[in-house]
Amino acid sequence: MWAGVLGILLSASAVARPVSYTGGWTLIQTANRASTAGLLHYSVSHKVSVGVRHEWQRDDDVTLTVIQPTFLAKRWYGHNYQANVYLTGGLGTATDRSVASVGSDTASFVGVMTDWETRTLFVSYEARFLEQGKLGNHSMHAARFGWAPYAGNTGELHTWLMLEVDHRKHFDNKTTVTPLLRFFKGPALFEAGYNVTDSAPMFNFTYRF
Amino acid sequence: MKNIILIVTVTLASLPVLADDNQKVMDHHDPHETGHSEMNHGEMNHGPEHSPESHEHSTEDAKEDVMPMSAASITTTDDITAALANGGAPVVVDVLGVVCDFCAVAMNKIFGKREEVSALYVDLDKKTLSLVVNKGASLSDEDIENLAKQAGYRIAAIRRNAEALGG
Repeated sequence: MWAGVLGILLSASAVARPVSYTGGWTLIQTANRASTAGLLHYSVSHKVSVGVRHEWQRDDDVTLTVIQPTFLAKRWYGHNYQANVYLTGGLGTATDRSVASVGSDTASFVGVMTDWETRTLFVSYEARFLEQGKLGNHSMHAARFGWAPYAGNTGELHTWLMLEVDHRKHFDNKTTVTPLLRFFKGPALFEAGYNVTDSAPMFNFTYRF
Repeated sequence: MKNIILIVTVTLASLPVLADDNQKVMDHHDPHETGHSEMNHGEMNHGPEHSPESHEHSTEDAKEDVMPMSAASITTTDDITAALANGGAPVVVDVLGVVCDFCAVAMNKIFGKREEVSALYVDLDKKTLSLVVNKGASLSDEDIENLAKQAGYRIAAIRRNAEALGG
C-alpha cells in the first residue's frame, strides 16, 4: 500500500511546511523562475491540511486555482532531528490569460515532499506532476540542501544558507541552481535567492498563525 | 486528465488508511518508531497525580523505554517565574522532533489554550517544554502527550515538581 501510493506520487509538488498544528492556519507565498503562487491552508489535524492555492505560471501566462489537501504520511521524531513525508494533491481550474488564450480547463496535480532537518542541517526533495488538459502538463522536481551557521534558540533569528536544484522539463534550462538565504523567526519564514542558471530571483514567505 | 483525477482520488481515499497504519504503529509501540515508547518511565517523575494504570506497557516496552535522557530543568522566563511565585506547579517535558521556531509556535499555540497552564516556554536548546500548571489544577501525563501530539510532536519524558526544578 505504502510503496504503491508513494510510487505513484513520486512525480509530483509540495510546499514548505504544508501541514501545521491542529487548528493552525498557514499562509505560504512563493515566487521562483517558473511561477508566483499563494497557498492558504488550515490544518484539521497535525496530519491533514486543506487549502486554497492560486498560482500564476508566468511563462505561459496561465493561472491555476485549486483546492489543495496535504497529508503528513509519516514523521520521524528524534532528539536532534525531524523527518517528514508529505503527500499532496490539487483539483481546480487552469486559465490561459495570454492574448491568444485557449480558455480554461480542469487542472489537477499530485505531489510528494520529503525533508530531514536538524537545527543546523536540512535536506529536502519535492516533486509535482501537473495536468491542465489543453493548457499542457508540467512536472517539477526540486532538491534542497541547507546549513545554518549557528543554532538559534526560540524566538531568535534563525539563518540558513541553502542551495536548491530544480528540474522542469518544459523549460529551456531544464535543470537550474538557486542559492538562497532563509531567515526564520517565530511564526515567520522568509527566503530570498537568485537562480544563477535562469537569472531569476526567488522570494518565499511563510507565516503560521 | 482521467488518470490524474484517478490518482488524486486514490490518494485522497488512501489517506485515512495511511493514517490508520501510522496510528497502529504508534499504538503498538514499534521499537523503530520514536514516540511514546521511548519515554523513560523508569526514571520519570510522574508527579502525585500519575496513575500507573494510565499507560499500558508490556515488559518488552519497558526494555525499549530504557534510553539515556537528559534531565534538563525548567527554563525560567519572567512569566514562568511569576507563575511559580503564585504557587503553580513546574513541569518539564522532553520533546522529540523540535528543531525550529515553527515547532515552538505549534507547542505554544496548543498548550497556551489550556486553562490549566499559566506559563510555558519551548526551549530549542534544551529540547524541552517548560510548563507551570495553575495552583489547584492538574494536567496529566496523558493530557500532555495528547496535546503534544496535536502540535505534531512526541514526548520522551516528563518531570514534575522538585525534579523539574533541578532538585
